[in-house]
Amino acid sequence: MDVLSWDGTISSREFRVAVRAFAERWKESNPDFPPWTWVPSAKRHPGLTSNQIDGYLTLERLCLTESTEKDIPFQEDSYEVTQVEKEETASFEEEDPADNATLVERHSFGVHYYDFHLVHSASYRVPVLFFRAYTTDGQPLVLDEIEKDLPASSAEILLESKWTFITQEDHPHLNRPWYKLHPCGTSEWMKLLFQSDTSMANKGVAIELYIVSWLSVVGQVFGLRIPSKLLNYRD
Amino acid sequence: MSGTESPSAVRKVVVHLRATGDAPILKQAKFKIPGTDKFAKVIDFLRRQLHRDTLFVYVNSAFSPNPDESVIDLYNVCS
Repeated sequence: MDVLSWDGTISSREFRVAVRAFAERWKESNPDFPPWTWVPSAKRHPGLTSNQIDGYLTLERLCLTESTEKDIPFQEDSYEVTQVEKEETASFEEEDPADNATLVERHSFGVHYYDFHLVHSASYRVPVLFFRAYTTDGQPLVLDEIEKDLPASSAEILLESKWTFITQEDHPHLNRPWYKLHPCGTSEWMKLLFQSDTSMANKGVAIELYIVSWLSVVGQVFGLRIPSKLLNYRD
Repeated sequence: MSGTESPSAVRKVVVHLRATGDAPILKQAKFKIPGTDKFAKVIDFLRRQLHRDTLFVYVNSAFSPNPDESVIDLYNVCS
């Protein structure tokens, strides 16, 4: 496929090729991390081989701990400050009481699990990141709670950027409401990403690399890191 | 973005910025920054230079780095 005439989208067949290539590379370069798994759709069509069956790629029960880790030293600091400078901060505390007990309690049962599904959107012809979050006892988190888990930079990205925002929609394979990052800008920035690569301009669009490039952008919302080995795909 | 290494105590990376889409072209395209700096610094610099809050910054091997990533790590990945 020629990069210059390419519109940044992929077909569902290309999506299946791309996610499998991605899942394999992920497993090879990142054996300690939970693997991505392909789940064939329950809607079966007779006469199709396993390669032709629609489905989605999943990474489940991922624990997002980053923001919790950041908050703990902050709590300790503020606790020390209120101890040492009790007199000075007294008036401030009256106006805006910092209740350490409440803060600590919020984090003590604050382990949140995240499920991520990569689904092909038939209308936008791009991958879409569906996700849900829940606590250890399985209680789902609402968007407000999820937003508190996200890295500080994503709150900004979600607010300002035109290419990432969260909506709620039926999961196309599970028919239950899931959150997703809206795909409306995806094909445009994917086109940008691939056009700048001179090696690709010569050889054409490498579908195998599509998901890594795509996830390097959308994964940032959750602070999901792509192992550097995966990014170094010219070797 | 592309990087070249220069020999010194603190490893510095030359960042070559190229405009794409409707982004304005910078007068000076190459900047030397310490490898220990985070990619976020590059983004912030561009924000100030271009007076735009929303920027889509990515590197030439087709990915958008996490702002937390250090420039030297990115240099090593891309070279």
